[in-house]
Amino acid sequence: MPVVTPRFIDHAWRRGCDFIVIDLEDSVPQHLKAHARSLVKDAIPKVSKGGAEAFTRINHDSVLADLEAIVWPGLKRVKYPKTEHAEEVRLLDSIITRLERERGIPPGTIEIDPGIETALGTANIFEIAGASPRVREFGASTGGYDYSRDLGVEMFVDFDQFVYAKGEAELAARTLGLGVRGAPFVANTTGSVSDGGRALLQAEAARQCGFHLGGGGLNPAVVESHNQGLTPGQDDVRDAHWVLEQHRRLIGTGETWIEVEGRVIDRYEAARARDTLEWAALCAERDRQKAEAVARTRAEMAKQDPAALK
Amino acid sequence: MPRSWILVPVSKPEQIEQASRSGADAIVLDLVELIAENDKRAGRANVQAAIRTAKAGAAQVFVQIDPQSLDADLNACVWPEPDGIVMSRVESPEQIAHADAALSRLEHERGVAPGTLKIVAAVETARGNHAAYDIARASPRVRALTLGRADLVMDLRAEPSHEIHLMPYLMQRLIIIARAAGVAPIGAWWRAPDRGLLATPENTYEAAQRGRAIGFKGAMCLRANQVEPLNRAFARDASPRLNG
Repeated sequence: MPVVTPRFIDHAWRRGCDFIVIDLEDSVPQHLKAHARSLVKDAIPKVSKGGAEAFTRINHDSVLADLEAIVWPGLKRVKYPKTEHAEEVRLLDSIITRLERERGIPPGTIEIDPGIETALGTANIFEIAGASPRVREFGASTGGYDYSRDLGVEMFVDFDQFVYAKGEAELAARTLGLGVRGAPFVANTTGSVSDGGRALLQAEAARQCGFHLGGGGLNPAVVESHNQGLTPGQDDVRDAHWVLEQHRRLIGTGETWIEVEGRVIDRYEAARARDTLEWAALCAERDRQKAEAVARTRAEMAKQDPAALK
Repeated sequence: MPRSWILVPVSKPEQIEQASRSGADAIVLDLVELIAENDKRAGRANVQAAIRTAKAGAAQVFVQIDPQSLDADLNACVWPEPDGIVMSRVESPEQIAHADAALSRLEHERGVAPGTLKIVAAVETARGNHAAYDIARASPRVRALTLGRADLVMDLRAEPSHEIHLMPYLMQRLIIIARAAGVAPIGAWWRAPDRGLLATPENTYEAAQRGRAIGFKGAMCLRANQVEPLNRAFARDASPRLNG
């Protein structure tokens, strides 16, 4: 969200997000960039009040000024747009390392997320993803406005127009052992960014493909869809228990798979089932953390100014 | 190049006999995927008998081995000699070089003509796929590349479109690399809910047709009734047109 719009920043903590991106880039007009930088230090604790992690997206061409303004305690990740060379990531790393030291932030804690939005970035993708230990999560994007402009690819079509580009990103992430952000194809022929139903389909597709990470959205209307879609439902949990129960029947038989009700049960299915159960538990834990953070914030606000809660 | 490769556990003589009657161009005796961990040692002791059974038919015979137990697996399988080995989960050219050297030594010790045994490299992990071009060129023994069970090993699941996540990219990448290196790309274009094991003959035929259309030369399967559709789809004179 644009850091220059106070009503977005002030209310962001109420939205139930897992992470919030404070934006200095495309949503901030050029003449407000300096003003925007001056707001980030205070915005970080504000958006974190509901338990969300604070990210900041900086500008491609004002790295030093932007980083000086945003590397403060509480910042979790820097999103760097239009990355094209590994050197850019190494430069960010060295500046962040200095700022962490100067500002009493534990060294190495702030992550870098290099966005790939051009053909050149794709050509250098493996070196970019491996350029710094601060890159811990990497992968494809489901959006890609800038990318489609750079490549001359149409955005809203009913087939997967980014097979190669997304594949390159994901193969790099998997090869380097990073957290993988996958982007299963879900047709978006309308271009809406506030369509909660479509966001739910996208998030469900990601969950069904085994991904735990969402790419984020541009409108608060999609937050609940993302959270809901990425969380295993009761049916998924029940099915996972069933798969593990069937898989136990293989123990000691010397067989590596059986067919039950037209489904293959083997160690791969069992691993998927265990993953679903672990992920369901982690989602519940994250929801609990966020609920606690919200309760704490509300209690503090009530103490300071009972009228403000209305 | 074989049109159909059927994978059977080395420990199941009845399945091996069935495979040798299935019409498969190649039989892959498996020491990796279809054999329980505790049975692997006994499995290696079965390899010689299994090769004899499989060689009774006209099919080529390969043994699928695990790079993690390369020397033990190779020691078990070079007499009587199979046509080659399928190396599962290959991740680096060094693993191929190691296998090449071990095969040369075994060929020499056991009186097999040097360079007889071929290698089919199965790249089933991200690292293996990333290094596939170097893997394909690591030894003249490498004659084919396959994604093997990459969808399972890498935990790639079905997208809403029924494509298996990442597989369209990995398949096309593998085919280009294989052709650039002068080796055969082996595979079929499976779509959910099929993942090989339970696919009907009809769905196997369609997967093979799609695979052939993007450049695969032959595919692997797990059931005897999947062999005929593979032979039909990958036949030299089959229509190159895609049916549905």
